[in-house]
Amino acid sequence: MILFVIKRFALAVTTVFVVSVLVFLLVHAGDTTPGVVAVGIGGTQEQIEAYNEQIGWYDPLIVQYLAWLGSALTGDLGTSLTNGSDVLDEILRRFPVTASLAFGATVVSSVLGVVLGVTAAVRRGLADRLVSVFAGMGAAVPAFWLGIVLVFVFAVQSSLLPATGYVRFEDSPSGWFSSLVLPVLTLAIGGAAFIARQTRASMLEALGQEYIRTLRATAMPTWRILYVHALRSASLPIVASIALQFIALFGGSIIVEVLFALPGLGVAVQGAVGQADAPAVQGIVVVATLVVVVVNLLLELTNSFLDPKLRTS
Amino acid sequence: MSDTAAFPTRSSQRASRRPLQAPQALRTLLRSPLGMLGLAWLVVIVVASLTAPLWLPYPIEYQDFSAVLAGPSAAHLLGTDELGRDVLSRIFAAGAGSLITTFLAAVVAIGVALPLALIAAASSARIETIINRVTEIAMSIPALVIIIAVIGAVGTNLYLVMTCLGLLIAGGIYRVFVGQAKSLQSQLYVDAAEVDGLRPAMVSIRHILPNMATTIFVQFVLVFAIGLMLQAGLAFIGFGPQPPEPSWGGLIQSASKQIYVHPWLMVPTGLVLVFTVLGANAVADTLAGGQGAPPSQVALGPEARRRRRELKAAAPVAVESAPEGMLIVKGLTIGVDDGPELVSSVSFEVAPGTVLGVVGESGCGKTLTALSLVGLLPPGVNPREGSIRWGARDLARLDESGLAAIRGREIGFVGQEPMRALDPMFTIGYQLAGAVRRLRGVGKADARAEAASLLGKVGIVDAERVLRSYPHQISGGMAQRVAIALALAGRPKLLIADEPTTALDVTVQAEILSLLRGLVAETGMSMVMVTHDFGVVADICDEVVVMYAGQVIESGTVHDVLGAAEHPYTTALLAADPHAGLGVVGQERLASIPGQVPQPRDWPTGCRFADRCAFAQPQCVVPVPLIARDRGDGGVRCVRVHELQLGRLDDPVPLDAATPVDGGADPTAPTTAAAPARNGKVRS
Ligand code: SF4
Repeated sequence: MILFVIKRFALAVTTVFVVSVLVFLLVHAGDTTPGVVAVGIGGTQEQIEAYNEQIGWYDPLIVQYLAWLGSALTGDLGTSLTNGSDVLDEILRRFPVTASLAFGATVVSSVLGVVLGVTAAVRRGLADRLVSVFAGMGAAVPAFWLGIVLVFVFAVQSSLLPATGYVRFEDSPSGWFSSLVLPVLTLAIGGAAFIARQTRASMLEALGQEYIRTLRATAMPTWRILYVHALRSASLPIVASIALQFIALFGGSIIVEVLFALPGLGVAVQGAVGQADAPAVQGIVVVATLVVVVVNLLLELTNSFLDPKLRTS
Repeated sequence: MSDTAAFPTRSSQRASRRPLQAPQALRTLLRSPLGMLGLAWLVVIVVASLTAPLWLPYPIEYQDFSAVLAGPSAAHLLGTDELGRDVLSRIFAAGAGSLITTFLAAVVAIGVALPLALIAAASSARIETIINRVTEIAMSIPALVIIIAVIGAVGTNLYLVMTCLGLLIAGGIYRVFVGQAKSLQSQLYVDAAEVDGLRPAMVSIRHILPNMATTIFVQFVLVFAIGLMLQAGLAFIGFGPQPPEPSWGGLIQSASKQIYVHPWLMVPTGLVLVFTVLGANAVADTLAGGQGAPPSQVALGPEARRRRRELKAAAPVAVESAPEGMLIVKGLTIGVDDGPELVSSVSFEVAPGTVLGVVGESGCGKTLTALSLVGLLPPGVNPREGSIRWGARDLARLDESGLAAIRGREIGFVGQEPMRALDPMFTIGYQLAGAVRRLRGVGKADARAEAASLLGKVGIVDAERVLRSYPHQISGGMAQRVAIALALAGRPKLLIADEPTTALDVTVQAEILSLLRGLVAETGMSMVMVTHDFGVVADICDEVVVMYAGQVIESGTVHDVLGAAEHPYTTALLAADPHAGLGVVGQERLASIPGQVPQPRDWPTGCRFADRCAFAQPQCVVPVPLIARDRGDGGVRCVRVHELQLGRLDDPVPLDAATPVDGGADPTAPTTAAAPARNGKVRS
């Protein structure tokens, strides 16, 4: 068990490291230098080169990377080339938005997916077919299109919910909530479809196992067989699929943030890439990866705790 | 600890099932309306997009100022956008670019994942581990974020961007492929090919690759669907082909700006995208062969409702109650709902304190018969006629709650596969103490103590340790003892044991048998023992019924049936099994007679054994009743029983006597039992 935790932790650290190298190289592969961006339109070649010289842009890549890594580890992700603000501050300011969205969508899609999947597996018949249709559609409808349709129905046709924008929780909890309903739903439907499918398949797989017969032979009530034993055994693949979904949802939140004009990390990375703001791109990508990896690690440890074979090894 | 990740993905689980072979998959696709619909749509979209320049009604930039933001009309089938441009033309003009670059992503993903999987499957564990780790890293990276960073570096070059997407997705695809490649690798014919001196690379290409064709295609289509959505998403946030060049995501993005004035504009492009992804998923799902979950052990939904309805509707059959502790099965017929009959009119009795053996080859209905005695038939399989009398009740007509009251408390059940009979997620203590609490209504602490004493009763010495263990931590023999303890938890008067020793080692088999024998003697309970081993019958049973193709073909005391079998099937089985009757337990051995047990739908109206019987005659085609045995109590289902007199032979196994006969062609039938035993070797 300890060994397993160590291995998984090492893999998580490696993942973040690989991504940081990758994005560092990508930033350097572009044909815009930071000087061009920082000095702005109308700057002379000398000014640009002076700026680049100053930040060490012409140093060997490895030196530059180590310098970046060194300061990143002390919590310094540099300053934005476009507005001079501190990248980490900016990320921390925007993080609650993306976190609300991604975690909200993960929770909603997990609850919805598990409930639908279990219902489909247990009730069969019509319920099963309806869930199948939902799962099929949910997996095929792109989030951004679905989002616009939701806006049309709930914000344009009936002004039940705001179409776009974000209200901070500190300013108004209810405003925060209603500003998130549509974005979270938009993001969660696809995830729910995926998790529902996985849940249904895992439940049916579990219900076909021979130990279910033993449980019946010892007079275990059917509801306990379904909701304690079958669900318990399905929990492993369900948690695994939630972990996979979180990766997808965190990435997908970029599109949803743009669609709903939410001031989160997604919008920030979209802007930073558009403006070739190298430190911002680097910082946001690495932090986003870090969040995804940490959440995945936690879910993975949950799973290894849920699995007696892993736990007792 | 295993080297695999803690997370099995949905796709890797799917791959662990046997994939359809290519021709078979194609046939499935052709037969599935949904799959065909999806395929047809894909073909139409691809062909229409690629040939778009040839047939588009309007040039993509043509502006019809008379129809700005118009709905569908004869001139503009799908309407026009805010500049009066024809939507249909723009959708299909955009199609080619989207489809080709997405195709590229799928080619890259498969092109990377497949060789990696073949290498991993063919090489050492070390290399496989390295490849696994690398792909795991790729899988845990948020792909969209990295791709946006790539766009920052190289611009919106879709070919490059989609290549990156392919690389990032390859990790997940690899997981699917490697599972299958490994299972193929381990198959016999691959080993054989290796022995033949083919280099591993050749083995992969020649033997493994063709068998993976369906999976490869399925994954290709799935990646294609993912790529299409992702690409549209990127275009939607401005990272797609730059205007004026149209793209599906871009079209939706500009349509979204008109949502207040002209919502229709969202519909055409959105639906084209949705249907294309739906079509791809439908094709992939059909080819992947649906979800091959094993049939449920619990009647669910309509299945359960139907049974309840049927039981209610059925006219109450008056059955006289059986004496206390006596099981009387009469004319029991079991069948699949709306399907074939699986067990035909079986009758037997089990007196208190006695052991009945039910013997036969696989597929003769003995396990189903046993399961019906505890109401544990799989959903969709139910008793049709006859009765199972237990006390005042008829178990064949009892509903789920009535059966639940009997299961465990009055009739216990032990299955064949001890390792699969226990829930791997819970400790043995939890399962056993839970059963004791349920079945005896005692408190938690008492139940725990009782669980420990039950384990002692079934011969487990360190009960406390076993109670704390999970099923995977104990051996098969130990697990079977636990399963027996579970069956005894409610102090049943009758124990149904379905081949309880078959899955165990020879030495353990003997231990479990003597344990069961001891329990019967000690507790005075009776037992039904299903087995294919005459040694087990000789060892533990008092009475025996021999089943063939869903019928009882011979019954009687163990002494009579084993010592002087009268039915040609029984004699053939015994002849093929020289130790039978000597009480030697061990070795897999019900025997063998050439040919196979016919499938239920092929059962003839006459003697069901006729195909394989050395004594078959024209008169055997009429329905055969159970005739009283020649010697002793019991019955024999053979029209020639009195004529053949098989039971009167002094030595039923004269190995060199008799002429072999081809099933009834010879009018002068041989008179010994040995003939059928010659051709086949033991196998059940
Ligand atoms: S002799 Fe005829 S009735 Fe008897 S077992 Fe053979 S085929 Fe069946």
